[in-house]
Amino acid sequence: MPELFVQAAEAILEMQGQRNGRTRTGRKGNTTTREVEVEGFDRETLLVNWLNELLYLQETKQETCTALEILEISDGRLRARLQVQPGRRGRRLIKAVTFHGLQLRPSAKGWEATLVVDV
Amino acid sequence: MAQVMGKSDLKRIEDGVWEIPERFRPEMRVPARLYADESLLEAALSDRSVEQLVNTATLPGIVKYAIAMPDIHQGYGFPIGGVVATQLPDGVISPGGVGYDINCGVRVLASEARVEEVQPFLDELSQVVCRNCPSGVGSEGEIRLSDPELDRLLADGSQWALEAGYARPEDLTHTEQSGAIPGANPGLVSHRARERGRNQIGTLGAGNHFIEIDRVSHLYDEAAAKHLGMFLNQVTVQVHCGSRGLGHQVCQEYVSRFQKTVHDYGIQLPDRELVCAPFSSPEGLEYFSAMACAANFAFANRQVLAHNIRRSFERVLRGKVQKFDLHQIYDVAHNMAKVEEHQVHGATVRVCVHRKGATRAFGPGAQGLSAEFSEIGQPVLIPGSMGTESYILLGTTGSMEKTFGSTCHGAGRVMSRARAKKTVRGEQLRQELRSRGIVIRAGSMSGLAEEAPLAYKDVTRVVDVVEKAGIGRKLARLEPIAVIKG
Repeated sequence: MPELFVQAAEAILEMQGQRNGRTRTGRKGNTTTREVEVEGFDRETLLVNWLNELLYLQETKQETCTALEILEISDGRLRARLQVQPGRRGRRLIKAVTFHGLQLRPSAKGWEATLVVDV
Repeated sequence: MAQVMGKSDLKRIEDGVWEIPERFRPEMRVPARLYADESLLEAALSDRSVEQLVNTATLPGIVKYAIAMPDIHQGYGFPIGGVVATQLPDGVISPGGVGYDINCGVRVLASEARVEEVQPFLDELSQVVCRNCPSGVGSEGEIRLSDPELDRLLADGSQWALEAGYARPEDLTHTEQSGAIPGANPGLVSHRARERGRNQIGTLGAGNHFIEIDRVSHLYDEAAAKHLGMFLNQVTVQVHCGSRGLGHQVCQEYVSRFQKTVHDYGIQLPDRELVCAPFSSPEGLEYFSAMACAANFAFANRQVLAHNIRRSFERVLRGKVQKFDLHQIYDVAHNMAKVEEHQVHGATVRVCVHRKGATRAFGPGAQGLSAEFSEIGQPVLIPGSMGTESYILLGTTGSMEKTFGSTCHGAGRVMSRARAKKTVRGEQLRQELRSRGIVIRAGSMSGLAEEAPLAYKDVTRVVDVVEKAGIGRKLARLEPIAVIKG
C-alpha cells in the first residue's frame, strides 16, 4: 500500500513536469526536507487528499519535489517526507485529483489504483 | 458498475423531450427528463452523461425530475448540463451539483458603436484587452487584497467591486442576484482557498474561459432588444470565467469532507462525486456559505475584468470611435446552487436548485428579477464554441413551470481535450479563424486546439431545442470578431 501511494505521487509529479527536467530547479544542491501529514475518511479519500496536497504545495510553495517517501500510513492517515528544491513556478496542469471513477483494488501484482484528474 | 444506456431506455414525452421513468432503477426517487433533439440525444448517449443523470435522480429530497439540458455531457458525478432541485429543509446540497468552478458564468457588455467603426482597431484592441486581462493557468492579477478586504469581497461580491471603484451601480442590477449570494460566510473559506485565489482577482484563467468581442448579427425580438439597448451590428463583449483557484479549492475540500458526511447521515450513493449533506445540517449550511463566498469571488472577478475591458476600449478607441463605452447587458452563473421558491405539484416549495452547466432563466414577472426585466424576462447568455455564434436568450414562464427556471448554458463538449489536441493543430485553427476575419489572441496553440469548434456541439441546435420546449426564447445572435483566451 505505501508503494501505491508513492507511485501515484510519482505519476502526478510526472504529469506536472517535475520528473522529466521540464521544470528547471533553482539553486542546485539547495534541497530541503518537508514533512507532510494528510488525513482522509477512508483509504480512497486519503489517496485523493495526498495527491491534492502535492499539487497544493507545488502551486503555493513553488517547489520541485525531487524525492518522497511514506513514513507511516494507515487507512485514515499518512505521514510523508518530501525532498524539495526551490524551483521556477510550474504550470499547474492538473487542477485537482477527483473521486470520479476512483478505484483502489488488490491485484496479483499488488495494489492498483485508477484515478481521474481534472485538467 | 457503469450502466450502458440506449435510446430504448427513454420514453419520448413530446418532440425534444425524453424521460427515463422512475422504475428504471430501484434507487431512483423521481424520473429523469432530458431535453434534446435526436442528434443531441445520440451525442448524450455516447458518453456516461445519461447514466449520470439517472444517478442524480437518487439524491435524497430531489423533487419532480432530474433534468438535463440539450448541451449535456459527462462530468464528475453530476453531468454537465444538469438541474437538480431538492426540497428544503432536509433535501441535500451537493458540491458536485455545482461543480469545481463555482459560479463559472458569462457576462455580456455592449457598446453604442457599430462593428465597422471598431474593425480598423481590432488588432490593437484585442492586444490591449489581452494585456489588461491576464489569462492562463495560475495567472495573477494586479490587485492585492489584505485579509479584511478579501473577507469583504467574499461576503459582498459585486458590491465590493462597486465600493472599490470597479463597477457602476447599474452593473449590479444587471447581474444575477445583484452579484452577491446572501449567506456567504468568509470564515468558512479555508486558508488554502484564500491563498490560491487571493491574487487572482481580475484574471481569466485558461481552458474554455475567454473574452470575446462580437457583433450582433441577428435580432429575434426587436422591441426587447431595444429595451436592452441592443441593435444590429452593435459591438458587444462576452466574458466567460469563474472563481479560479479559490472556488476550485472550496469544492475540492467539501467533496473530500462529505465522503464521511454521507456515512454519518446514512446516505447511499452510486457515485462518490455525488456526496452531499442535508441542506439544513451544519455540514450542508457550511458548504452553502463557503460556496456563496466562492460565487461572490467570481462575480467580483468578472466585474474587475469588465472594468479592465472598459479601460481597454477607452485606451484604444477614445478619439477614434464616438460611442465606445460599454454598458452591461447581464451577468449569469452556470455553476451554482440557489435557494429559490418553485411550484412543485401545485404547492409553492422552497428548494435548493443545483445548476451545473445550466443557467437560471427566470420568466417575466418572476420574483427576484429587477424591475427592468420583469416584462421581458431575464437575459440568459449562451456562449457558443470558439469562432462560432453565441446567443442571448430571455427566460420564459415555461422554464419556471418545467425546469425550475433553468435553461442550457452553451454548446457542450463532444470530444475530450486530449482528443481535440490530437485532431486539430492550433496554429492551423488560428489561421482558419483569421481567414474568416476573427482575431485570435491565445496563450498557447495546444490550448487553442483543445477549444476547437469540432470538440463541441452545435450551439444553434441546443438553443433551438430549448426554444421549442419553451424554456428560453431567442433575443439576439452574436458572432465573434476577436477571441482572447489563456
